[in-house]
Amino acid sequence: MDASMEGLLETYLFETNSLLDGLDELLINAEKIGDFSEDDVNEIFRSMHTIKGSSAMLEFNFLMEIAHHIEDLFFYIRENGIDSLDQAHKSELFNLMFKSTDKLRSEIEKVENNEPLETNIDSFVAEINGLLDKISGKVSDSPEDKAPEKASAGTESVPLNPDDAPHYIHVFFEDGCGMENLRAFMIVNALQERELEFIYYPNDIDSNPDSAEKIIEQGFYLGFRTADAREQAVRAIDQAQNIRSYETGERVEEPAEPEPEQQPASPAETAPAAANTAAAAPKAKSEAPAAKKKEAAPHGAVKQDLISVNLSKLDALMALVGEIVITESMVTSSPDLQGLSLDNFNKSARQLRKLTDDLQDISMSLRMVSVSGVFQKMNRIVRDMKQNLNRDVRLTIIGENTEVDKTIVDGIGDPLMHIVRNAIDHGIEENVEDRIAAGKDPQGEVILSATHTGSEVIISVSDDGRGMDTDAILAKAARNGILTKPESDYSQKEILMLLMTPGFSTNTEVTEYSGRGVGLDVVKKNVEAIGGVVSITSELGKGSCTTLKIPLTLAIADGMEISVGKSIFTVPISNIRQSFKSTESEIILDPAGHEMIRCMDAFYPIVRAHELYNIPDACTKIDDGILMWVEASDKSYCLFVDKLIGEHQVVVKPLPPYLQQFHIKDSGISGCTILGDGNISIILDIAHVYEAARGIF
Amino acid sequence: MAETTVDIIETEEGQSPKNIQRFLTFVSDNITFGVSTDYVIEIISSYMICTLPMVPDYIKGIINLRGQTIPIIDIRLRMGKMPQDYTDATCIIILEIKDISVGIVVDSVTQVLDIDLDRISPIPTQNQQELTSSMISREDGSVILFLDCEELISQ
Repeated sequence: MDASMEGLLETYLFETNSLLDGLDELLINAEKIGDFSEDDVNEIFRSMHTIKGSSAMLEFNFLMEIAHHIEDLFFYIRENGIDSLDQAHKSELFNLMFKSTDKLRSEIEKVENNEPLETNIDSFVAEINGLLDKISGKVSDSPEDKAPEKASAGTESVPLNPDDAPHYIHVFFEDGCGMENLRAFMIVNALQERELEFIYYPNDIDSNPDSAEKIIEQGFYLGFRTADAREQAVRAIDQAQNIRSYETGERVEEPAEPEPEQQPASPAETAPAAANTAAAAPKAKSEAPAAKKKEAAPHGAVKQDLISVNLSKLDALMALVGEIVITESMVTSSPDLQGLSLDNFNKSARQLRKLTDDLQDISMSLRMVSVSGVFQKMNRIVRDMKQNLNRDVRLTIIGENTEVDKTIVDGIGDPLMHIVRNAIDHGIEENVEDRIAAGKDPQGEVILSATHTGSEVIISVSDDGRGMDTDAILAKAARNGILTKPESDYSQKEILMLLMTPGFSTNTEVTEYSGRGVGLDVVKKNVEAIGGVVSITSELGKGSCTTLKIPLTLAIADGMEISVGKSIFTVPISNIRQSFKSTESEIILDPAGHEMIRCMDAFYPIVRAHELYNIPDACTKIDDGILMWVEASDKSYCLFVDKLIGEHQVVVKPLPPYLQQFHIKDSGISGCTILGDGNISIILDIAHVYEAARGIF
Repeated sequence: MAETTVDIIETEEGQSPKNIQRFLTFVSDNITFGVSTDYVIEIISSYMICTLPMVPDYIKGIINLRGQTIPIIDIRLRMGKMPQDYTDATCIIILEIKDISVGIVVDSVTQVLDIDLDRISPIPTQNQQELTSSMISREDGSVILFLDCEELISQ
């Protein structure tokens, strides 16, 4: 596969995946209402049309066939109106559509992994056709094969009528680029996406392979009613590949007839001209409420100007911007400038600072994506589980537009899936009677929400199910031998933390969805890998809530610089609760000789940074240094340091890979950052510092 | 067929004297070491080492080399010798070994030499030091030990 083909394939995968994602979302929403709107049907039809075209171009026949048959199915529905289906057929249609998108997706995955595609499509196609037959059989007055017949009738009935389309484009493809008919078809698709009205010749490009010959010989004609539409088309064609040349022109004819007839937008849609005029009026009417509906649901299919960029390029950009920020402060605070009064320099330096700050903000925002993609996937999971477990659950999504770093969005997908599954499988009552008896809404609710709080995003999954039985959890934990202290010593919070211990699963039966005992501990590990924290709260009988606290980004952090002896460390601001001076007399020793101090009516251990890291020349008297009350996940303690230097935004750099072998992470170092003067500051990982400190106690 | 075989042998023999590689030599604890210039990225003499806690003593810390953080190994300590205060002559040789960048602290850098690989001989086992496996004695009687770079980064 050569380079251009590879690029094409990449585009294809990206495009098809986003179409399938869009379809999934659409199907879920439509199923909630229990009906397809006219927009939905058109959207599915268009998506399938695009998938069909592009799959055919890359010769993925399986994908093409499925898309083709679904397209047929929806063509029929579009022609006859969704109302011609009864409820049973609709639910069957939903199931078939979910199955089809899954099938398409799994095939796309195979393409991605370079595996051979499935070739046996007959059974699946038969299933689609079976439904089509059923549906069309229901509408007794139309013959079964009405749809394809009409489709072909439609395409053939479009003559290249110069009266309708005096503005034409004549396209020639590159010699020997191959599959001219499909390339032409791609152009047609592109133009249809722009919602242009046009006709084309040869008009059988998607069904007749011989049309390729015709295109090679005579070129490909596109006709438009207005010069404006033609201009738009030219822009679209400019973006298409393998085009050798095109010419635009105008047929000198009488002005177009004043009749407000709508030119068919696609050949498949084309009905005979007379029918079209008649259809135009009701169509216009039905479009108005549809448009209104779109406004009401802002997260619908809103077209955006997007480009896809390789993540590694963004990473490189981030690194560069980080360098620039550092270099900028190196230049402007250079010791050579000390004592000089440089008005112009200072002015320019301020300007430069502002620009670099803006640059940094923008490049940071490039990596931010909304969590809606991940959240929408949960819809699908809830739907499937609802069907298979036969539980009535609805998923409510709050704050899906919250933006977080791309790496984090990728990292929360799996944990969220686990949590949502757990919530439904373990949380929501099995029997509706139980819910009614408890005075709850018979339909269970799972709320998935995301909110920003300063430097963190909080994602929570809460259900209104039966809640967690702490006694049962404790008993189970005791049976599994994962308790580390007497049962009576466990607090409510600690018991819930036991759920996240490896090998713990409260469901004795293994189901398809959860209960393999690899649930929450994996969740915890995955979330910790992206710097987050998981916590669970639950009230028996009322439901539970799992909360993920995740930093907004991994690449940049607000840090407090502190000094210990000659070393400089950075503590993430998000971990700091308070910094305060104290005196020797306030320190309390526990029987083992560990120092503790009282903050807000609770006692916290003191970790002396200089002792932990063996740093010479540091303050040793509590009176001289400063105590920093820090908190990370379930750990809270006071870190004793010499001085606070100041707050900075730091670009987090990982430590060199060579050092990994010394288990540097376990000593409480999560990375490093380069300071304005070119020196390095070590970023402390507050949770691990405590672990390390416990090690030396 | 026979002729071609002979040809090959001849060319191989013809090439053998050219089996020469460039080595950078440096001194650490009065011993001269050589390291293949294939591994050497640069030599730096002004640096600020940021010490890391809880690592073996021979890891002196990390430095910032134009935005890249590079771990620094003190060769003296790595070989179990006594530490010595760094002087003006002390410098860091930045090596890139199998995509891993490390810097080594050496007492001083001497020169770059072309060395015939065929003349390198293994070190007698009883005298063998860690990290060196071969040596060469030169005409003037001096001896160069060759640093085994891959051994340096493997643990």
